[in-house]
Amino acid sequence: MTGRRTRYAAVTAVALSVLFAAGAVTVASAEREEAPRTPDSASADAGFARDMSVHHQQAVEMSFIVRDRTEDPAVRRLAYDIANTQANQRGMMLGWLDMWGLPKVESGTAPMTWMGMPVTGDAAGKDGALMPGMATRTQLDALREASGKEAEVLYLRLMTAHHKGGVHMAEGCVQKCSVDIERDLAQGMVDAQESEIALMADMLRKRGATA
Amino acid sequence: MAANRSTSADRRARIEEMRRAEQARERRNRFLTIGVSAVVVLSLVGFGTFVLMKKSDEEDAKAAAAKAPISGEKSWDAAKLGRNHVETAVKYDMKPPVGGDHHPVWLNCDGDVYDKAVPEVNAVHSLEHGAVWVTYTKKAAEADVKKLKDKVSDTPYTLMSPVDDQSGAIMLSAWGKQVTVDSASDPRVDAFFTKYVQGKQTPEPGAACTGGVGADGMGGAGMGQ
Repeated sequence: MTGRRTRYAAVTAVALSVLFAAGAVTVASAEREEAPRTPDSASADAGFARDMSVHHQQAVEMSFIVRDRTEDPAVRRLAYDIANTQANQRGMMLGWLDMWGLPKVESGTAPMTWMGMPVTGDAAGKDGALMPGMATRTQLDALREASGKEAEVLYLRLMTAHHKGGVHMAEGCVQKCSVDIERDLAQGMVDAQESEIALMADMLRKRGATA
Repeated sequence: MAANRSTSADRRARIEEMRRAEQARERRNRFLTIGVSAVVVLSLVGFGTFVLMKKSDEEDAKAAAAKAPISGEKSWDAAKLGRNHVETAVKYDMKPPVGGDHHPVWLNCDGDVYDKAVPEVNAVHSLEHGAVWVTYTKKAAEADVKKLKDKVSDTPYTLMSPVDDQSGAIMLSAWGKQVTVDSASDPRVDAFFTKYVQGKQTPEPGAACTGGVGADGMGGAGMGQ
């Protein structure tokens, strides 16, 4: 015959607090299980956006150089196409990083770590070739010095290697990236650059050279 | 009668005693019920609150780590830093300069390492394009300088050069931002790079670190832009 009101109040209070605790656990764990709305800094999405931006930037630079070194319309047109395409794609990738609130550089993390194949080693030995396919500073200087057919052949060779490295990295994103629009862009890079590799092989043949 | 009276008085006393005992038991039970349920309620509410706060703390910690100021970093109001292109000498308020009017041609900052002093008016233009500029004096240890040169040459949108008359032995600058670090392995080096290489402070995102002026003072493709 403990006061009935006391007992009601006690039972109600306990029941409400059980509901609150259960609710709190549900809210906290549900948010944890959900896929993150934006990629985090260690994701393939962020890693690819960062690394491919660097890779692309060199292709843009090489294309501007060769346009200053030859009058050949076919090579100048190809270089114009590559410079515009890759500068625009680079802007897309940097824009995504901005929208995801992620840095453009994760200092201390080797390139391509997101692919499970970090590029490490003696920095001096790399001479500016930070990732597979990239040209060294020495090779870029050689391109700046060359002119005419010599510059065209050098450009086509350097860009063929650049595209091969680029295709390989883009395939990594096609496999690992979680953002659809980014995976689609990566697949587009694979398709377009493979087709340009064939085109460049043809252009090299016409100049009596090979890749 | 006296016996009867005493018996009835005894019974009343016993009844009174039993009633008191009953009341005491009831009081005890009520305290027990209130006490136990209060403990249960408090612990459940406490647990629930803890779970929610832990969750939000984890999120706050992540957000805070990204935004945390770098210890010892100096900032200037970006709105007050000039951005005009001038071909005359410019007097800057800080050394090395972190912003202000500058030469029309940027200094190449594609991981470029300069062994000699560079013109400030060109380097400031590189900061406007999102570069981080590493500078050092003769007081900086040789091993630190070597390590920083390797790091800079591995990082597009950075550049490095000696500045003999700056206050710190090793300083890092970005547009409107500057920090003096103790050594090449100071964790603030990575933090500064991560935060400011093409970071939010960049007045002209997407602008180039190639095609400007190089160590030889010769302009590249973008000369004069």
